[in-house]
Amino acid sequence: MSRLAILPALLILAACDSAPAVTFKDASITLPDDPLELPEGPGRDAVLENCTACHSPSTMLQQPKVSREKWEAIVGKMQKLYKAPIDDDAVPAIVGYMVHVQSQPEAAR
Amino acid sequence: MNDSRLSRRALIAGAGTAALAAPALAKLGGMIDLGLPGGPGLRPLSPAFPGKGEMIVQRIRPPLLETPMEAFAKGIITPNDRMFVRWNWPFPTEVKAAEHRVAIGGAVKQAVSLSLDEIAGAGEHVEIVAINQCAGNGRGLSEPRVTGTQWGNGAMGCAKWTGVRLRDVLAKAGLAEGAKRVRYAGLDVTLTEGAPQFIKSLPMDMAMRDDVLVAWAMNGEPLPILHGFPLRIVVPGWFSTYWVKMLAAIEVLTGEDDSHYVAETYRWPSVPVTPQAKDFPTVPITAMPPRAFITSHADGAVVAKGEPLTLEGFAFGGDAALERVDLVGTGRGGGWEIPCDLGPDEGGQYAFRRWSVRLPQVAGDFEGIGVRAKNVKGAVQPESLVWNRSGYARNVIERITLRAQ
Ligand code: HEC
Repeated sequence: MSRLAILPALLILAACDSAPAVTFKDASITLPDDPLELPEGPGRDAVLENCTACHSPSTMLQQPKVSREKWEAIVGKMQKLYKAPIDDDAVPAIVGYMVHVQSQPEAAR
Repeated sequence: MNDSRLSRRALIAGAGTAALAAPALAKLGGMIDLGLPGGPGLRPLSPAFPGKGEMIVQRIRPPLLETPMEAFAKGIITPNDRMFVRWNWPFPTEVKAAEHRVAIGGAVKQAVSLSLDEIAGAGEHVEIVAINQCAGNGRGLSEPRVTGTQWGNGAMGCAKWTGVRLRDVLAKAGLAEGAKRVRYAGLDVTLTEGAPQFIKSLPMDMAMRDDVLVAWAMNGEPLPILHGFPLRIVVPGWFSTYWVKMLAAIEVLTGEDDSHYVAETYRWPSVPVTPQAKDFPTVPITAMPPRAFITSHADGAVVAKGEPLTLEGFAFGGDAALERVDLVGTGRGGGWEIPCDLGPDEGGQYAFRRWSVRLPQVAGDFEGIGVRAKNVKGAVQPESLVWNRSGYARNVIERITLRAQ
């Protein structure tokens, strides 16, 4: 209670003499579902299985068009840096899917 | 509520209601076009998130919500329901106030674990209006394009923050000999073992600053979960990567911070680089540079020939107060410039500030006009993008074209 003495008058306006200046209440949120929307295309299942545990598909789908090598590097980064459990055998399918999707017109994605 | 009604009206009325129109953002059936060069630029305005108004949904999980530019068309405060949201990793969706603790350890005299009441009692309560801006704001507009979150320019906002000084919280533990940096972490956790936790640190001179806070309120309301309930770090003038949310642990370091989000990312070249450059020195991205935006007119808007024209918008100085804003024409050196009138200084040096300029008569089209902010330290927005491969700290002059009819 003695700590109230050091608060500037301005901020204890709303508080009565013995109440703490700030009251903390519990907080919670219900986040919207992630529909995991990924356009059809060869390799879609590999991407669903390997690439959607940590983030929504939009993380991949919104990237600017990059090369196959860049997609390989991105998958490598997910494995090495973020420890994504990605089956090495699935990498060509994942990369192939991303290259395919990026070759489609935007409206189809 | 008011804001979403406004935006719906703007949508129906179209570009004619210049004051309400969103610059460069065309809305199409629940989608918004961020106009990113080469695309893809279409983003959904759904699903709705609890406590948020209409937002550009860059990502549902973990949430990345961008503020539509129309939310910046009036005033200097971004309401809580329009503030952008950015998480790197998942975070708890429920926090019990009575159980929350902030552990302070490392190079301190005595390790402590503080309750929320103890934090609130750690010192004088301080209010500051400050801009919270993602280091990657505007990344999607980079040319050449770079990978990462493809933000338009809406990963920023200006709010009033209330809390205690970080240095008063640190005093609860006492700094030990050799204390050099202050590192902190939130409740967000990695999904995989061994992945880097989102922890950040400040050099001691910053951590001791008068206006660096451990904040619990945003625009007079408790921090919403999406914005870091119950506590977040506030570092006025610095990019929001340092504004760690859901603060749960503080560690005082005696040396450099070698953790991933300080030593390996959120860094940018200390020398100018080309897209081909490799092996250049980098430094952490810290202080914000000045920026200015036109909010009264969208790119491509039609203005009345022969009539006077008033342009409006907002600007900020970054890590120092805004000094001036100029309306600038096209062309390096050969262009024209007209000083703009600054609105009242409502929020102080780290806040948005409105500007306006009245042109006596529209003679013809305005091709590629922009506004250029300068801060009191002399930093001025550049003519061309300071390109970097992470798309950090965009502050090139943003340009639009107006058609006279
Ligand atoms: C273990 C978790 C995890 C998995 C699994 C994962 N990622 Fe990521 N990914 C991340 C994190 C963390 C980020 C950075 C998020 C942020 O900045 O908000 C990221 C970011 C990205 C980005 C944005 C560009 C960048 O470099 O930041 C792309 C693209 C991406 N991931 C693609 C993929 C693909 C493709 C897969 C499947 C092969 C995948 N991710 C699987 C954790 C993961």
